[in-house]
Amino acid sequence: MSAVAASVEQATLHVPRARTSFAWLRERGMGASILVAAISTVFGVVLIATTDFLAAMLRADPYIGDSGTLAFILGFLTLLLVALAVYVAGIVTANTFATVVAGRSRQIALLRLIGASARSQRARVASQGLIVGVLGAAIGTVLGIVVSAAGVQIAIVRLGLDAVHVAPVTLSMLLPAVIVALTTWLAAWIGSRRVLTVTPLQAVSGSVPLATDEVIARRGRHAVAGILFALGAVALAAGILLGLVSPLGVVVAFAGGVLSFTGITMAAPLVMPPALRLVGRALGRSAPARLAVQNAYRNPERSARTSIGIVIGVTLVTMFAVAIESVKAVLTANAGGELDPELASIMDTFAAIMMGLVAISAVIAGVGLVNLLTLGIIQRTRELGLLRALGVSIAQIRRMVLLEAVHVTVTATVLGVLLGIAYGWAGAQSLLGSVPTNPDGVTPAGIVWPAVPLGPLLVIVAATAILTVAASVTPTRLATRVAPVAALSE
Amino acid sequence: MKITTTQMGLAARVENLGKTYGTGSGTVRALDDVTVGIRRGEFTAIMGPSGSGKSTLMHIMAGLDAPTAGRVWIGDTDITDLGDLELTILRRRRVGFVFQSFNLVPTLDALGNILLPFDLDGRAPSVLEKARIDGLIDALGLRSRLNHRPHELSGGQQQRVAIARALATAPDLLFADEPTGNLDSRSGREVLALLAEASRTRGQSIAMVTHDPVAASHADRVLFLGDGRLVADKPAQTAEQISAHMLAADGDDTLVQTRRAEVGA
Repeated sequence: MSAVAASVEQATLHVPRARTSFAWLRERGMGASILVAAISTVFGVVLIATTDFLAAMLRADPYIGDSGTLAFILGFLTLLLVALAVYVAGIVTANTFATVVAGRSRQIALLRLIGASARSQRARVASQGLIVGVLGAAIGTVLGIVVSAAGVQIAIVRLGLDAVHVAPVTLSMLLPAVIVALTTWLAAWIGSRRVLTVTPLQAVSGSVPLATDEVIARRGRHAVAGILFALGAVALAAGILLGLVSPLGVVVAFAGGVLSFTGITMAAPLVMPPALRLVGRALGRSAPARLAVQNAYRNPERSARTSIGIVIGVTLVTMFAVAIESVKAVLTANAGGELDPELASIMDTFAAIMMGLVAISAVIAGVGLVNLLTLGIIQRTRELGLLRALGVSIAQIRRMVLLEAVHVTVTATVLGVLLGIAYGWAGAQSLLGSVPTNPDGVTPAGIVWPAVPLGPLLVIVAATAILTVAASVTPTRLATRVAPVAALSE
Repeated sequence: MKITTTQMGLAARVENLGKTYGTGSGTVRALDDVTVGIRRGEFTAIMGPSGSGKSTLMHIMAGLDAPTAGRVWIGDTDITDLGDLELTILRRRRVGFVFQSFNLVPTLDALGNILLPFDLDGRAPSVLEKARIDGLIDALGLRSRLNHRPHELSGGQQQRVAIARALATAPDLLFADEPTGNLDSRSGREVLALLAEASRTRGQSIAMVTHDPVAASHADRVLFLGDGRLVADKPAQTAEQISAHMLAADGDDTLVQTRRAEVGA
């Protein structure tokens, strides 16, 4: 780890020597990337602190003592959750950098024209990603440590746990910072791939901006995604079948779920556009709706990346809600119509905590959406000026921007809820297919019907609505400020 | 009783028009007391060197910018004090635009771009308008390109789509801003011929801003602007006459020297 830290330090120190000014940090998109890195770092630090605290609590408990298994499970869970948040943050950052690079293509072309190599240009963008990642990670670490210390103090006082002792800062709390800084660097590198496609000629030609990014065919990636999905689906089915005779089916199904969902996420550029098209059609044929919807197709990969983070968050939240509700339904039937209220409350609490934890990835994806829509407007100033000149009213511009946000959020939420119900059901089914629910107490449940709890569903719908509005505030303000003359002056 | 713009045989006019940018010592006077009308059914070219105020004049006449003094009419509508929404709807229904470049919405295909003014009004073209649009599509040779996106079209084709869109609503006035500026000379001639024909056969009133004497030579009338003032108003001219006039009007400085050198060469 020290080698990694050293290389991070070296790379950071290297930048000022390369005569880089930091004006680019004020560019739109960079602030959001720092925020995303900071959120995932805070999340990681707080989770680690919580795990440490829980472990200390268990150690202090004379009845439980040092439980290695529990500590292991907590550690594993923390790892999974941090990996999830970092993964979504990575997608968001890669997308942001891809968009920023698209906006800079003329400037990059000019530098290419006077002799800069494409690779050096790409390395420059990636190094900016590293700086952004280090900044966000540093801010996040400090904030995370402060929040954790405060939380631990409150918990000790509230719960009267004077015997519990935890160090406010441990070495492991620096781990999220390192991971986040490095993944941000990597994400910026991935997102900057488009630099390589910028030709010096673009600086001199007054050509019409391309309507779409060249979609770079990545068969290998999609093949891997397909294999993962297929393997996962088989494992899911096997887990469900196994679940009819043994609760251990859930272990097989879990592996299947992870594999198949990873496949779906990786294949987002294949999965999301058809979903966006379907929802886009539902938004109607009015001119603002068509302009808004068409906008999501001009960069299919960008739209896919923007929405998949939200899909991930919503899927996981829904999955926990549906799984717990279905399990409760089966257990209720098993107990002859009434569930032990204490058990029900424990399960609800567990579900709520898990939903909150996975929702962080949706929040990170939300930041990405706000950022992407804003960048989209800035990069379309000229087009907006043209639309205004041709007779698009301010109200129509406003509607267009709102519908752009609606298009992405509704598609992602609907898909996430459907996937979440499917995965939640698969979990409950594979766990409880063998549990007797019939009055005779012998016949197993067989098919567990997915129970979709209304509460979490309403929260998801409300959160989607809030995200949609929040995501369109700044873009709307910027878009309605564009004067028609802007279309002619450039 | 006051005489109206249309009774004067005009599609649009401005009266004592002034436009200044900035305040105090940094004030720039883009237009200074300009009074002029664009005659109905005519193809008018507005010429002048850069900084002469020709673009500002066009922007104000088209309802894209507001004057600081004077009044503006499109048809019989005094647009001087109209609000943003009224101006927007007026541009949508009664003004057509052909710009130098970036004329088309990149996410819409050619037909979508042509029909945009109707879509924005939330209506389909009437039978009469449909027939007109059909005729335009054929006349402009766009039939086979209707489902192409702008980036799949050549520069000349893009300008033809823009002309089709601008003519589709049969606007009071079509404004063209350096419509040939981004084209090779052959496509440029084609576009100018199409504009001239639209005014001749359809009676379309057209105002074209340009600094290219060859482009202006296609017009029925040439207005010359200099330093924010109208300096001459001439009937149809040859490119040579226009060049000569521009040189004469440009009384001083090295610019003239270079132009003379260019003409001489």
